[in-house]
Amino acid sequence: MKKTSFFKIFLTTFIISLAVLPIILSNKSWPTLARDYLFNQAFNETGASNTVSSIYLGYRLMDTLGETLVLLVAITGTMSILLNLHKQTLESVETESSLSPEKRPQNALRTNLVEVVASKLGPIILLFGLYVMLYGHISPGGGFQGGVIVASAIVFLALGTEVKTKLTNSVVLSRIEAFSFISLILVTTYVVFFTDGFFSSIATDSPFVSASIIILLNIIIGLKVGTSLAVMIIAMMGGQHAH
Amino acid sequence: MLIERVLIFLIFITGFIGLISMKNIIKKIIGLNLLNSAVVLLFILEASRIGDKAPILNDKIQNIVDPIPQALMLTAIVIGVCVTALSLAMSVRLYKTTGSLDITIIKERLENEY
Repeated sequence: MKKTSFFKIFLTTFIISLAVLPIILSNKSWPTLARDYLFNQAFNETGASNTVSSIYLGYRLMDTLGETLVLLVAITGTMSILLNLHKQTLESVETESSLSPEKRPQNALRTNLVEVVASKLGPIILLFGLYVMLYGHISPGGGFQGGVIVASAIVFLALGTEVKTKLTNSVVLSRIEAFSFISLILVTTYVVFFTDGFFSSIATDSPFVSASIIILLNIIIGLKVGTSLAVMIIAMMGGQHAH
Repeated sequence: MLIERVLIFLIFITGFIGLISMKNIIKKIIGLNLLNSAVVLLFILEASRIGDKAPILNDKIQNIVDPIPQALMLTAIVIGVCVTALSLAMSVRLYKTTGSLDITIIKERLENEY
């Protein structure tokens, strides 16, 4: 039994190596056409000096809309699986070395050290996340990256108990998420009224060519990604977090 | 350039073996994440073959890397996070139902129950 399964694993690995090795070891020269076009035109056409931002928020904005839809579907699935679970079982787990405030059921896996450090670091990381989000058009960063940092800051705030904030409440976070998703759809559909159609490029065809639309989209996407990831992680930490 | 490619291939194969041979669901999810990371690294490496500067445009910059694979991999990372979250939620559900994370034990218990 064991020998055959080992042989099967070896055979599968060998076959997948044969399929993948030509792709990984390929030495074909990478085309420079797109790079040169973006190098010459991206700043003039979208107003963002970060070329990655100008691709995913300018030329390929519809792809970003689809990507946030995938994120929304994944969050919805995760929440629907997890929320029903916590209603059924709320068992109190206590660890041997925990201090008295840690023996509340929802805090069983925490220590005082984590609580103090997390609530001190949370606001600072939140500020850094907003910085990465707002400066995404001229420096490395952008909506998705800033959103993930914002999400980790919200998780830090939820872990700590010193700072009292509404930001770790799942209901508030879900409302922010819904609002930012509606604004994203509204902003992306405005090309319908000014250009050829829904799938035309927002960067090259729109009359408002400037970095302001990139900044606006960065903020919206950052709020969307940050709040949805934070809602999901707070749900994984044990349901609705209430201070 | 060859040594990076071999290392990326090793990450890929490690993730793949973890995905197909581990019995624990959490280890399978870690394998899936390794596969995702290998693909991301491969794309970033390919993009860096035609340049060596980050694609943040200013007056003096020359010879930037190709920004298109970087924008694509941004998407891939987000999708990877989605897949990981969904599979972790499902494994939590399986653990609550069957009391185990080992796929053989899960299979036995589900067959006994139904």
